[in-house]
Amino acid sequence: MKQSFGERLFDGMNYLFLSLVIVVSAYPMLYIFNSSVSDPNELLHSRSFMFWPEGFQLDAYKQVFHNPKIYSGYMNTLFYVVFGTAFNLLMTALAAYALSRSDLYGRRFMMKLITFTMFFGGGMIPTFLLVQNLGLVNNRLALILPAAISTFYFIIMKTNFESIPGEMLESAKLDGANDFIILFRIVLPVSKAILAVMTLYYAVDHWNDYMGPLLYLRHQDLYPIQIILRDILLSNSMEAMGPGADTGFAIGENIKYATIIISTIPIMLVYPFIQKYFVQGALIGAVKQ
Amino acid sequence: MKNKVLPVVMTTFLAAGLIAGCSDKDSGSGSGTSTNASTTEAGGKTDTAGGEEAALTSIPLPITTEPITIDYWRANDAKLTASLQNFGEMAAYKKKEELTGIKVNWTHPPLGQQGDQFNLLVSTNDMPDVIYYNWASAVGGPEKMLADGRIIRLNEYIDKYAPNLKKLIDSDPDIKKQISLDDGTIYMFPYIRSDARKLNGTSGLVLRKDWLDKLNLSVPKTIDDWYNVLKAFREKDPNGNGKKDELPLTGKDGAGTLNRLNDFAPAFGVLGGFQFKDGAIVYGPLQPEYKQFIETMTKWYAEELVDPEIITNDGKAFDYKITSNLVGAYSGGVFSGMGKYYNLMKEANPSFSLAGAAWPIGPAGKSYATFNLGGKVLTYGEAITSSADKDKIKYIVQWMDFNYSPQGHDLFNFGIEGESYTKEGDTIKFTDQIMNNPKLTYDQALAAYALSIMDGPMDQDSRYLDALLAYPEQKEANTIWMGADDSLTLPGLRFTEDESRLNASVMTPISTYVSEMVTKFITGKTPITEYDKFTKTIQSMGIDQITKIYEDSYKRYQSR
Amino acid sequence: MELIRQERAADSAAVPRGRITFLRRELVRNKYLYLMLVPVLAYYLIFHYGPMYGLMMAFQKSYSPVKGIFAGTWVGLDNFTTFFNSYYFWRLLRNTLVLSFYSIVLGFPAPIILALLLHEVRSKAFKRTVQTVSYLPHFISVVVIVGMLSTFSALDGGLFNVIRSLFGYEPMMFFTEQNMFRPMYILSNIWQGAGWSSIIFLAALANIDSQLYEAAKIDGAGRWKQLLHVTLPGIMPTMIVMLILRLGAVMNADVQKILLMQTASTYEVSDVISTFVYRSGVLEANYTYSTAIGLLNGVVNFTLLVVANAISRKANSSSLW
Repeated sequence: MKQSFGERLFDGMNYLFLSLVIVVSAYPMLYIFNSSVSDPNELLHSRSFMFWPEGFQLDAYKQVFHNPKIYSGYMNTLFYVVFGTAFNLLMTALAAYALSRSDLYGRRFMMKLITFTMFFGGGMIPTFLLVQNLGLVNNRLALILPAAISTFYFIIMKTNFESIPGEMLESAKLDGANDFIILFRIVLPVSKAILAVMTLYYAVDHWNDYMGPLLYLRHQDLYPIQIILRDILLSNSMEAMGPGADTGFAIGENIKYATIIISTIPIMLVYPFIQKYFVQGALIGAVKQ
Repeated sequence: MKNKVLPVVMTTFLAAGLIAGCSDKDSGSGSGTSTNASTTEAGGKTDTAGGEEAALTSIPLPITTEPITIDYWRANDAKLTASLQNFGEMAAYKKKEELTGIKVNWTHPPLGQQGDQFNLLVSTNDMPDVIYYNWASAVGGPEKMLADGRIIRLNEYIDKYAPNLKKLIDSDPDIKKQISLDDGTIYMFPYIRSDARKLNGTSGLVLRKDWLDKLNLSVPKTIDDWYNVLKAFREKDPNGNGKKDELPLTGKDGAGTLNRLNDFAPAFGVLGGFQFKDGAIVYGPLQPEYKQFIETMTKWYAEELVDPEIITNDGKAFDYKITSNLVGAYSGGVFSGMGKYYNLMKEANPSFSLAGAAWPIGPAGKSYATFNLGGKVLTYGEAITSSADKDKIKYIVQWMDFNYSPQGHDLFNFGIEGESYTKEGDTIKFTDQIMNNPKLTYDQALAAYALSIMDGPMDQDSRYLDALLAYPEQKEANTIWMGADDSLTLPGLRFTEDESRLNASVMTPISTYVSEMVTKFITGKTPITEYDKFTKTIQSMGIDQITKIYEDSYKRYQSR
Repeated sequence: MELIRQERAADSAAVPRGRITFLRRELVRNKYLYLMLVPVLAYYLIFHYGPMYGLMMAFQKSYSPVKGIFAGTWVGLDNFTTFFNSYYFWRLLRNTLVLSFYSIVLGFPAPIILALLLHEVRSKAFKRTVQTVSYLPHFISVVVIVGMLSTFSALDGGLFNVIRSLFGYEPMMFFTEQNMFRPMYILSNIWQGAGWSSIIFLAALANIDSQLYEAAKIDGAGRWKQLLHVTLPGIMPTMIVMLILRLGAVMNADVQKILLMQTASTYEVSDVISTFVYRSGVLEANYTYSTAIGLLNGVVNFTLLVVANAISRKANSSSLW
């Protein structure tokens, strides 16, 4: 179809603006990456904008990866991300589907009950005592069970489920499908986009989780990457080096940036893989199946 | 200051916990741990355990042949984690295990997270035997920890089983006063600095000595000298780059305020907070002298003698400015403010040198320190929890006392003789293992051997400092700072729970108001003519109540 | 619509007739739905309502670990009145609300606009690049972000001041300039969060029935018309629900970020309830006081959410319940 001048102008501006978004969003990561590989001395003395590295070294990365705990940290984090997210998705989907059904008696009451917890909680100590009494301290489940559902994400998912045409569910019911079958065979397959978002959001939350392991884990072998990296970061900060920090050792600033890169790259790679689910008309395609 | 003493009456009913109810083990001592002296559970238990044992005069080695393990909790230290995982791997603690025959099971929270972890720890009933912590930052302070039966009173145990600490307490009235709470209870084996002035006087004002020399100036003594020096730094291009880019005075970590400038307030006989003045406790900013101080700073600021970014500088910006030869003066410490920059600059600028300066001379011709130099007992120390096995306590106490024995003293201050240090007469020299370690900075290297470079239960020996100060200017600065008069400053006071609550609710708005207004005065946004209004507002916000709290607390301190 | 009416009928029908009979029939009819809710409700009751007794600390003097929460000294509303009577109470409340207001007005539409613009992009590769890159800043911690802002704001050679000088302006200290605090706080939040939040809207956009676009095109609707009549209505429920949730967070401010960004020169606009409470040192030292402040924030937030939800419901559009 032929485009009007206005439409072409809009497209041009749109591409221009989004290119600007790319530059502005990429800059901090570029800054961090370039700082991490710059010469420590240059880093200290320059007020460079870090469009490219000042000098070059990989010692910061070597030093971080020299720490054997890094690998167990990655494995632990992988465990929490995979199993935590899977459990999150299951629980959230159950909640979102059941409560998206407006013919369910008590729905509004239950919604209020759940929403209430977004605003009021017992605080750190009672929560910790609960987790302790359940015997979950020093247990990997402590990072999975207490965070089973994020109420915020649950509400988003429920809102999405509500937009699924009622006829689809009705016809399935007439075919004799029960609610479990409807949820897993009909609702979830047509909700790939929102499932992808939930997967990403939950996975990133598990990936970044710092307070959970801090409160509930005591054994270092259970620590996720975030805690390990922070320990490395603090052990090498300029402040920690204090008096003895001279140029030969002043790599603390580089290590700070290197840990950001190391902790971000793996989870960053998840997003491009889930983007294929954001395709227009996924819903319709699925209905026709 | 956020510490509380729970009224003694409240301690009677401790075992009634519904949520964190007591286990059988500590309900016994919990209800009995009265903060009143006479008959404590501690005393009673020892009688039943060992009859009328005579007090020890020295620690037997090994302490016991029974297999004993102490569960010990303390925050990790970044200097240590640079090369080791936990304190048990430190050479001094390894040696201690060998000598005492007692094993230690160490638990460390992740770096920088000890606060939350501590709060959780004391909420549960499976506490470790020993906790090393900054007790002033415990919720409710040590008083509440005792009243709640979390930690136990140690006076009686010290009398019997801790001859070395007892000797320190008995020989020094300052230590005796500072180690006790207002009611006389001793609750920890503390981090002690019996050579307090030298070890506390490690920070103050620092100037670029090479700049002074270049401009034919001497280290400033009076506030007028300071003005002249800073003015010359600004005008006469001491960094020689032909640009007027010098920042005569700067600082870092000012938390968004101009509080760093308070280093110059003693020149007028005042401090930025509560202080002594003519024998009474007063709030500095209310004094007419503080107004003179503000006027002087306003003038300095207007004449660009103060780096305007003194408000926001973080460590990175500060390092950049100093190593780029932009800064003339700042406040810093012998290590992080002097040694560090000598090391960073030795190649780039060999003529770089620094000099420590005394606080500008104030009333009566004296240089007054802005902080208390006489604090011999720090708020850090190791306490025994109520979870510790009663029969084990006497061994734990002996084990803790070992650090203060002559042998333990050297071990925890200097490490292993011949390996990390050598002795020549009375002088200590660290070996190349510490001073020229190929992989670690000297503080990280020393942390693998001894506690002295960090903090811990010991009597820190000032000879460790002498051995580490590599540049003569560092030693001179130390000598100058420790010689200051600290009669304006208050000692470490303890507040009751109600006092702390009042302090938090009244003092926070006042401090907010003061830092806000001081910033406005000095940066010229509010004219100094408003100063009377400023002091009246402070009064109307209830400062007198707080002064009263300080007076009461000081009275209790004196009668310890 | 149909479903909502059904539900209302069900609700009102419950009361007059035998409640028990009704409940039994409902339980049978929706037994699988209730079965699904068993683990969900168990989770909320155990992990959220279980520790909620901790809220009682708001009415107590101090928390004692051994005695537990039920044995504390009750002080009624003291913790609240102390705060209400504080010299700065009104300023703190005002700053909290104003900062939130601007954050909503400027920050809420940002991810939606980004998502809509991305929706109009036809090149798949470009679209994916923008998506992936724009969500990167989300992974940088607040400390590092503020550290970078601080470096960029340096008087001497900071990026912001270099840009200013290109336009002939004098360098300025962004962190001590009262007028700069809110823009810096809000813009950096958008910068960091817009890409991340836009993902929800991208998913909502993907769910729009593509037949609707086809139909609109046949009707001769241009892209602007399609936006107004297909795209926006398609993501409206998500937008409304997100807005309701955002309104339920008006009292929340990013304490850590504000603490890092504020200076005494900007307290007038930057000091909010949470930073003030933090500075008083009571957060670490006094659970009861911080619980009280948290409860207060919760009440205001929850009230606003309930009101916003009711309005939205009345307007016959999406709501949380």
